[in-house]
Amino acid sequence: MNLGQQILNGLVLGHSYALIAIGWTVLLGVARLVNFAHGQMYMMGAFVAWMVMAKVGLPYPLALVTSVLAGVLIGFVMQEVMLGLTLRQDLVSIMIVTLGFGYVLHGVAAIAFGSTGQILDTPFSTINVYWNDIWFTGQDLFIIAVTVAFFIALQLVLAKSRLGRLARMVAEDPKLAILAGVDVRRVYFGVFAFQGAAVALAGAIVGPRTPILTSMGFEEVIITFFVVVLGGIGSVLGSYLAGLSLGLFTAFFGALVSPAYTTPAAFLVLIAVLVLRPGGLAAKPGGA
Amino acid sequence: MATVFGTIAVLALAVAGFFVPAAFGGGGAVYSACVLIAIFAVMAYGLDLIVSDLGEVSLGHPVFFASGAYATALLSTEAGLSPVLTFVASLAVAMALALLVGFITLRLREFVFSLVTYAVTVVALTLAENWSALGGSDGIAGIPLFTVDAGIASFRAVTDRDLWPVAYGLLLATLWLVSAFRRSRLGNAALKVHLNPRLATMSGIDPQKTRLMVFLVSAPMTAAAGWLYAYQRAYISADLLSPYFLILMLTAVVIIGRRLLLAPLMGVALILVQEKFFSFGGDVDRIILGCALIVSLAFLPGGIAGTARALAARIRRSDDPARTNAKNEGAT
Repeated sequence: MNLGQQILNGLVLGHSYALIAIGWTVLLGVARLVNFAHGQMYMMGAFVAWMVMAKVGLPYPLALVTSVLAGVLIGFVMQEVMLGLTLRQDLVSIMIVTLGFGYVLHGVAAIAFGSTGQILDTPFSTINVYWNDIWFTGQDLFIIAVTVAFFIALQLVLAKSRLGRLARMVAEDPKLAILAGVDVRRVYFGVFAFQGAAVALAGAIVGPRTPILTSMGFEEVIITFFVVVLGGIGSVLGSYLAGLSLGLFTAFFGALVSPAYTTPAAFLVLIAVLVLRPGGLAAKPGGA
Repeated sequence: MATVFGTIAVLALAVAGFFVPAAFGGGGAVYSACVLIAIFAVMAYGLDLIVSDLGEVSLGHPVFFASGAYATALLSTEAGLSPVLTFVASLAVAMALALLVGFITLRLREFVFSLVTYAVTVVALTLAENWSALGGSDGIAGIPLFTVDAGIASFRAVTDRDLWPVAYGLLLATLWLVSAFRRSRLGNAALKVHLNPRLATMSGIDPQKTRLMVFLVSAPMTAAAGWLYAYQRAYISADLLSPYFLILMLTAVVIIGRRLLLAPLMGVALILVQEKFFSFGGDVDRIILGCALIVSLAFLPGGIAGTARALAARIRRSDDPARTNAKNEGAT
């Protein structure tokens, strides 16, 4: 086994996982909401970027912007449909409705983009770097750079800005926030739009690492669960560290045992954590 | 008198149900659709006990469905076991898995419970796709015909028309089991745990034990559907763990209404009739099914039955002359 290569793979994977999961972390931390369509929104982000570049012929930066806008739009539509359930905090119904949304998105994507796999090539993914016996692509570096920048910016916004204070207030006590004159609806819409934007961005940035399929959402979302639960539900820093650990675990398990069984193995780790500290999962609301 | 009358009505309905495919022309496609409706309804009833009675959303039920189908496929092709024995084995495997999942999730509630059960399904999907003992990505083909030899008489189902009595019998048995469960101590305890866990604990009910027991009733039900599905298809693969079956079960359970005995059956029938006779192609059907699930939860909180009841009540109120008069008198 090439140790350096596996560490690098793990770091790239880990940053990918953290970036994919961050929308969910904030959604759960601020709004106490769950979204099972997350994986399909990731798929949508990747396919919209592919469409913009391969079919329309626009450059990668514009594809990223289009993906993010598509993510915001999907988030908005979902929240519009579920607003009643959100205000009632009917978590169980919200969960099933988002599963339904994921299923619908899968159908829409299969019609819009066809059901064959595609390769999302970006200007970075075609740059190959060989350094001693280690190989990586420009896209790998781009993933790490974007993820680190994203997490730092988010941490600053949540901790320092008025927006962050508002979000933490709603997370802490939605009813009190209403009494204090906060428009909770707008916060919910904002959080959903942010989640959509973040995961679509992840799709357009992480998607190029593997062939993209319209059916990939069902399994993709599982990584997000692991990151969110292992990181302490709703914690931004926690989910970064959890993403990183999970990435390294996946890389080494894949190299040493078998890449086919990494999901079951990661699941065993998750179960161990849940059984060992079932009550210790809830992080401080607000995610800061 | 009323109960005798009720029993006769139920029996008449049960007998009439057997002739539903014949009433719709009795063609091969009709029998196939009816057999699938019966199988998927049995599958959905397993989930219904968890959602409607226990109040949790299990996303792990495709695993029980697949475990029944896989146990049947492996034991009938490799060991040549008869349907009776594969039935017993399916239930046993599902109960063992239910114990395992039940223990893991014993203390988890609401969305963490659902997350973990969803993860169980995805893990099972990756295992089924990769593990060669389970047929890997090729699945298991060549499942023999449903044949029971009982000395002098033997039964052999070549077409779905032949399989219909078995499917209908399984459906009736499941309906009886569900209604018996709702009248039982366990069913009562489950509802109490669902509606008021603290009160349940105070009245001597152990919520964790109740949850585990309900799982042990629910899982074999869904597995029995997998058992028959394996014979019906003669081929199974990891597709059993794909989102389709999960969304189908969930939609069937919520679309008509909760805690109504016939609701999941009617839900499955609605979905399957659309897919088999009014299909717009797989992807559009997917959008229709997903939208049905979204609309029934976001806009029809009581399901179709609840909405119909609310509408009927409103019409009755506006039509009722006595009440209108009373209101007028009150006003004067």
